[in-house]
Amino acid sequence: MEEKILTKDFGVKNLFEIEVYLKQGGYKAVEKALTRMKPAEILEEVKKANLRGRGGAGFPAGVKWGFVPQNVGRPKYLCVNADEGEPGTFKDRYIMTHNPHLLIEGIIITSYCVGIHQAFIYIRGEYEAIAQRLERGIGEAGKKGYLGSNILGSGFDLDIVVHRGAGAYICGEETALLESLEGKRGHPRLKPPFPASVGLFQCPTVINNVETLANVPFIILHGAEWFVSRGLPKDGGTRIFGVSGMVKKPGIYELPLGTSLKRIIFDLAGGMKDGKKLKAVIPGGMSAPLLKADEIDIPMDFDSLVQVGSMLGSAAVIVIDEETPILEVLRSVAKFYSHESCGQCTPCRIGTSWVYKIVQRIARGQGEKDDIDTIIRLAENIKGKTLCPMGDAAALPILSICRKFRDELEACLAG
Amino acid sequence: MAKFFIDDRAVEVKEGTTILRAAEEVGIPIPHFCYHPAFAPEGSCRMCLVEIEGLPKLELACSTVVREGMKVHTKSPRVIEARQAVLEFLLAEHPLDCPICDKAGECKLQDYFEAYGLFESQFKEVKERRDKKVPISKNLILDRERCILCTRCVRFLDEITATRDAGVLHRGIHSEIGIYESEFIDNNYAGNLAELCPVGAITDTDFRFKTRTWFLEKKASICPLCSRGCNILIDWLPGFPRIPTTQRVFRIRARENPDVNKFWICDFGRYGYRYLDEDRQEKILLKKGGKDTELSWEKARLYLVEKIKSLLFMKKRSRLAVILHTWLTNEELFLAHKIFRQGLGLENIYIVDPPAGKGDGFLLTEERTPNSRGAREIGFSAVPLDLESLATTTDILLLFGSFLESRFSLADIQRAFDRIRTKVLLTPHKSGLDGLVDIVIPTLLVAEKEGSLTNVAGRVQTFTPALDNGGGLPEWKILLELAKELRVNYKYFWQLDSPLAVRREMAREIPFFK
Amino acid sequence: MARYPKKEAALLPILHLVQREKGWISPAEERFIASLMGIKPMKVREVATFYTMILRRPPAKYHLQVCSNLTCSLLGAGTLIEYLKEKLGIAPGETTPDGKFSLTTVECLGACEQAPCLMVNFDYHGNLDKEKIDKLIASLE
Repeated sequence: MEEKILTKDFGVKNLFEIEVYLKQGGYKAVEKALTRMKPAEILEEVKKANLRGRGGAGFPAGVKWGFVPQNVGRPKYLCVNADEGEPGTFKDRYIMTHNPHLLIEGIIITSYCVGIHQAFIYIRGEYEAIAQRLERGIGEAGKKGYLGSNILGSGFDLDIVVHRGAGAYICGEETALLESLEGKRGHPRLKPPFPASVGLFQCPTVINNVETLANVPFIILHGAEWFVSRGLPKDGGTRIFGVSGMVKKPGIYELPLGTSLKRIIFDLAGGMKDGKKLKAVIPGGMSAPLLKADEIDIPMDFDSLVQVGSMLGSAAVIVIDEETPILEVLRSVAKFYSHESCGQCTPCRIGTSWVYKIVQRIARGQGEKDDIDTIIRLAENIKGKTLCPMGDAAALPILSICRKFRDELEACLAG
Repeated sequence: MAKFFIDDRAVEVKEGTTILRAAEEVGIPIPHFCYHPAFAPEGSCRMCLVEIEGLPKLELACSTVVREGMKVHTKSPRVIEARQAVLEFLLAEHPLDCPICDKAGECKLQDYFEAYGLFESQFKEVKERRDKKVPISKNLILDRERCILCTRCVRFLDEITATRDAGVLHRGIHSEIGIYESEFIDNNYAGNLAELCPVGAITDTDFRFKTRTWFLEKKASICPLCSRGCNILIDWLPGFPRIPTTQRVFRIRARENPDVNKFWICDFGRYGYRYLDEDRQEKILLKKGGKDTELSWEKARLYLVEKIKSLLFMKKRSRLAVILHTWLTNEELFLAHKIFRQGLGLENIYIVDPPAGKGDGFLLTEERTPNSRGAREIGFSAVPLDLESLATTTDILLLFGSFLESRFSLADIQRAFDRIRTKVLLTPHKSGLDGLVDIVIPTLLVAEKEGSLTNVAGRVQTFTPALDNGGGLPEWKILLELAKELRVNYKYFWQLDSPLAVRREMAREIPFFK
Repeated sequence: MARYPKKEAALLPILHLVQREKGWISPAEERFIASLMGIKPMKVREVATFYTMILRRPPAKYHLQVCSNLTCSLLGAGTLIEYLKEKLGIAPGETTPDGKFSLTTVECLGACEQAPCLMVNFDYHGNLDKEKIDKLIASLE
């Protein structure tokens, strides 16, 4: 049985209350980091641990923190990306519901390392109950002296603000998150400049996913080598896989990076529900191109999935069965991206809506014979040409569905 | 300086220049919608994507800064494909309004489609329907179906006028531009929005449905309605054979000048062009004994010269008075000064201008004439005009312009004029003064002349005729011929035959005009 | 507003607060927020219309937001939406005449392991079937 790191204590009753959390050994990592380690040491450790971002992009956290310029005369900020909008993803909800103090610890250590004195948790508006739980935890931590001024006598100050989103997937994209936090429409920004140098209110900003930060306390307590050994040499640690769809046991599964997708579906998640047959799997949230049933014998790590033209993304595994028409899958995908397009740039604003209109027409039984070619052409025209990565997030899944299930889609056409 | 390669040409530009600007400098146009030199790069239209060797994705020319050794391709197959992709997307949701859209002929979407597109539409779906006639200011109408969401209008109102009237509402394909409820955009620069909009989404009711852009000649001129001297383009209709035209000038647009008006003109200047066509004097008229006789210029000149010569002969030159104004060009004022002040030694030279208005803190000045600075530099000073004293000391009055009517009542003017033996009116416009003078000579407006004006900041701007003259005479010509006929310093004046020649003299004599 | 480095950042939290109290953001609320924050009402409206959760029409007492994204669709969200339409007599986007229920379809709520699921105001309900929906509707007074 694989050792659990993040979810180890999830079964402990009332873990979200600080007294219970402390009894489980909580806040020891903060104590070690703030009183016995220097920020540069922490940065080295996190870099060596090869902790890659768990939000979707997989960028090494230590490297990202290293980009932040010190001594610029402007405050630095940390934004915790708790927007969790990627369809199929619910792992951060579990972390924040069951173990909010773990996240708070991660925030404190990260802020101390980079020299940040105000952190914002950007949490999606729908997670209202969780936002309240976080605020409660922050209050408790403050009372115990883990937040506020001169934490544990280290001279380090930190304040955490919980900021609710209001129903926009695009605000999970880091620059759109910054815009939304600044009180504007969630329009992604041009990069460069990157948030590490020009971020929130033009100040250097680090943006990390909830799960990424939740790993930091363990790296501090047990060291980088230990962390790497729990995963793969280039991808340290575990991932919380969120399995949903047509499986017997949907839910979260914390597993080392490199675990086989086949095993996750058929072994751990109990296999197909109601005796259905597997048709396709989305391995990393809707933005990850899907895999056919014969492509699932693959280790779940960043590089392996990139090699087959997909991505680990948010490690959200969506299992699709044979009885589901692929057109329905295509419709969900096209609908989602056209609804969530921010509208700023031409290809995504018009392209996602155009694709959705075609798919709707096919679903009404009015598909024509060049429609699939048109969809592919439009997706290729969106890919690589948009202002933010959501263009690719829309185009690549659509392309994978049209190319891998072309015959089934063609059969839906009338003309 | 950074050296880079664009379409295999080596080019050197200042550090920090973007690819798009650098390309413009060497005459390589890169198509764009949302970019405008007045604002920071926006990067949302995606039309300016270019290929940079060594980079996997196409990059934006409007925001990517040139780096030493960079190799850029603006016409590679990938780039052309990308442009077609953007055009296809825009046209998919764009209404087929060209036949009824005012922007036709100067529309970027049309221009780029012609240059890079020319493909058949593959869009079989139902286009988004939106409001097509949303008034957003007194003169402007927004058509949301035509809008390509370049947000130039929003950024103009945010960054240039700082009035923040417009914004982008909703999300995704439902995004649209709007104003708040019915709170109209209400500043002196709203008219720029119709020019700024790259397509026909914002149209000006002043121009809407009146003509087609390809029927119009566009000529450069200077706006004379205040002393800023904004550079303008006059769009006017030369007309068609056998079809009478009811209107000559249809539109004024801004002409870029980084030192004077940048990219903009104010609404006061933009919409105030009717003076070019309305109430124009048509013929030289001698008004005697209740009858109007048309004269040729030669005859009129003879009449004037005779009258003035007889006054000079009787050693009564001081009884010749001249009223000028500062719509006159530098050359004309210089000639007037040379002839009347220096040449004839006259004392009674006045300047009567239209009353001042309110400045708007940006372009529009309080002074409502284009050349009062020029008049000052040439040596005229503001002498208040008293009609009574004018009446008693004057036998011959040369009155340039009809601005007297805006300063005094006609009754007062008539009372004074009745005591002046000969009154000559040289003006482009008809007015109530016509019935009070002896001879009316039609003159030309700035847009119809050649010359130069000095703006409020002391900048001398030259211009050439933008419109054909309607049979009037430019004041510089009248003054030169008068000088020659009156033998006022003949040797000096005989060799001057054009405003350019006069300007050379000005540069020689007055340090300011060097 | 004081919790943020720049007061404009408080716009979204303020919109949430006002909506909690008044139920929705009307033009009057837009003007109120604008004057409170010292920004233009246009700015408030720009932001309010961008976010799905900010309501611009009076809501019902119980706002049923049914996820219609991929996993929930796989597990029968479509059927449940039809069932709700029949049961309440309204289509997505509409409110019942008595003002008690409104129905909208939304994108992924982040509870895919309990698909199909819906959110009533801010409360999540998952693993739905017709029975559970009947129970839920009955329990909402």
